[in-house]
Amino acid sequence: MRRFVLGEFSEPAACVEAARKLHAEGVPGLDAYSPYPMHGIDEALELPRSRVPLIALTGGVLGASGGYAMQWWMNSVNYSINVGNRPPHGFWTNIPITFESGVLISVLSIFFSSIFYFFKLPRTYHPVFESEKFRTASLDKFWLSAETEDQDQVSSLEARFRSAGALRVHTVVEQV
Amino acid sequence: MAENAAIYALRGTALIEGQQDDGTLNKTLLDFIWQRARPGWLFLLAIGLALTGLLFAAITVTLAIGIGMWGNNIPVAWAFGIINFVWWIGIGHAGTLISAILLLFQQKWRTSINRFAEAMTLFAVLQAALFPVLHTGRPWFAIYWLFPYPSTLKIWPQFKSPLMWDVFAVSTYFITSLLFWYLGLLPDLAALRDSSSSRRSRIVYGIFALGWRGSARHWHHYKIAYLLLAGLATPLVLSVHTIVSWDFALSIVPGWHTTIFPPYFVAGAVFSGFAMVLTLIIPARRFMHFKHVVTLRHLDSMAKVMLCTGLIVAYGYIMEHFAAWYSGNVYEQHVFFFTRPRGPMAWAYYLQMFCNVLVPQVFWLRWARRNIAVLWIGSVLVNVGMWFERFNIIVTSLHQDFIPSNWAMYYPTWVDLSLLAGTIGFFGTLFLLFLKFVPAIALSEIKELRHEMAEGALDYQPTEMEGAKP
Repeated sequence: MRRFVLGEFSEPAACVEAARKLHAEGVPGLDAYSPYPMHGIDEALELPRSRVPLIALTGGVLGASGGYAMQWWMNSVNYSINVGNRPPHGFWTNIPITFESGVLISVLSIFFSSIFYFFKLPRTYHPVFESEKFRTASLDKFWLSAETEDQDQVSSLEARFRSAGALRVHTVVEQV
Repeated sequence: MAENAAIYALRGTALIEGQQDDGTLNKTLLDFIWQRARPGWLFLLAIGLALTGLLFAAITVTLAIGIGMWGNNIPVAWAFGIINFVWWIGIGHAGTLISAILLLFQQKWRTSINRFAEAMTLFAVLQAALFPVLHTGRPWFAIYWLFPYPSTLKIWPQFKSPLMWDVFAVSTYFITSLLFWYLGLLPDLAALRDSSSSRRSRIVYGIFALGWRGSARHWHHYKIAYLLLAGLATPLVLSVHTIVSWDFALSIVPGWHTTIFPPYFVAGAVFSGFAMVLTLIIPARRFMHFKHVVTLRHLDSMAKVMLCTGLIVAYGYIMEHFAAWYSGNVYEQHVFFFTRPRGPMAWAYYLQMFCNVLVPQVFWLRWARRNIAVLWIGSVLVNVGMWFERFNIIVTSLHQDFIPSNWAMYYPTWVDLSLLAGTIGFFGTLFLLFLKFVPAIALSEIKELRHEMAEGALDYQPTEMEGAKP
């Protein structure tokens, strides 16, 4: 059973500052929650560089080359159509669809890799939602959470959250 | 910076007016959703649903009896179907311009209107897509006419045709707009879930929010994903209307066969799209109480974009006439100097010139850019003018082509008119539902913008011209 110690802040700057301090102290499973992206939180939590651009590039290259190959194979290999005696393989006329399919596959891979892989959504349950107070995380308050399996650690984590400046601290327990 | 924000508010140049914080923004922007539906909204919805009924009746007639129920026939083989298609898809382009291109250019004023404009894009592209599908006459075959589907005929689509490019461009555009819109919506759906007071709305919005909890680890990927989608949507939107213009420009029909079409179509699309955003947002900001986030400064900026793109369109018209004259081609000259200005449909030509060339010139005046009535009437006229531009390009070019014995007049039928009115109603219905059930202003982005302004990180300074007169 995982326990999440939650601390509430009313300003993003205070939240980022507390995150930096707690991260430096080595608080386990630290995460932050906010209604909009907080400036500086990535550095405070030392998040590694996002791999979304790499996936976008891979999707784009695969989509564009797949789109080109599709047109080449369909119109000049599998069923060649003679239109006004133009060559069956028209490089320039293949460009628009090559571009469109590159964009399409890139967009699909960005969106679905973000949702399913990076966000691990959709999910119907997350322990932080056990707290009714936590509803403000998408509205006007800023939250930090630390994660631990050990009930004995909870009180020391709560004390650390308070000393880092959290206005309200409480702990939720995962209900499985 | 807070007192500066107040000063800008006095000057009418602020992006967010009044002393706002995250709480008041949540309250004011979500209020319309949590309130009971108002009579005005229900009344408009009833009109929209009635016209949607008309749309489906007209579609049923088209499918049951056939494409002969439309007014188009040789020589005017393309008429309302393609006019409406180009008109709707052009309207959609402003949404992508606002949400993607202005994001890349870091134009902060886009924040209040991007969700609104993206929804407009989505619903406009939906209307647009109806027309080519119906125009095939037998849409149930369209799947293997239009998409590379391995049918038993073993034949594939002909990829050298701009019409095929169009299929790929429009479907990519629709999917991209939808996903971009939904990704932007996720944090706001979570805000709706978390501000809901009833269990039912909490569950429904909870499902659509997919369990978004605003984690910093998610925002980290979210920011870059959103930016990349904007970066991809930017060349995409330019490609879509370029390809739409190639449907015409790659033929040899006089009045269509011209290289100015791609830039002039893209500018025309943005022009009509901004007009539609203004037409919709002026009543919405009043009746939904969004005046503090969609300020006169936003309307002013949109009017400037309209003026600028309107001038590009006017340049396109001039160049078309010049090229026709300079080419020495009698068929081209006939279209530009006889059929359009002096033929039986000359009224449509002068209406187009009045609405698209003369009307936007009023937006040189600061007074007109900040006068709600002038803006609204101007934007409606531009929408009308842009519809007639496509009418002139398509119908007037076709009805008198190369051989006089081939000439014929074109008249739309009641089915054509019902389809046009019906799509306007269907668009309106979807838009009203959007306004009622989804935050029409990108809440998380507005809160971020307010925070940036409060921190002074934005460092927004009014220009000399803006600041000079109170």
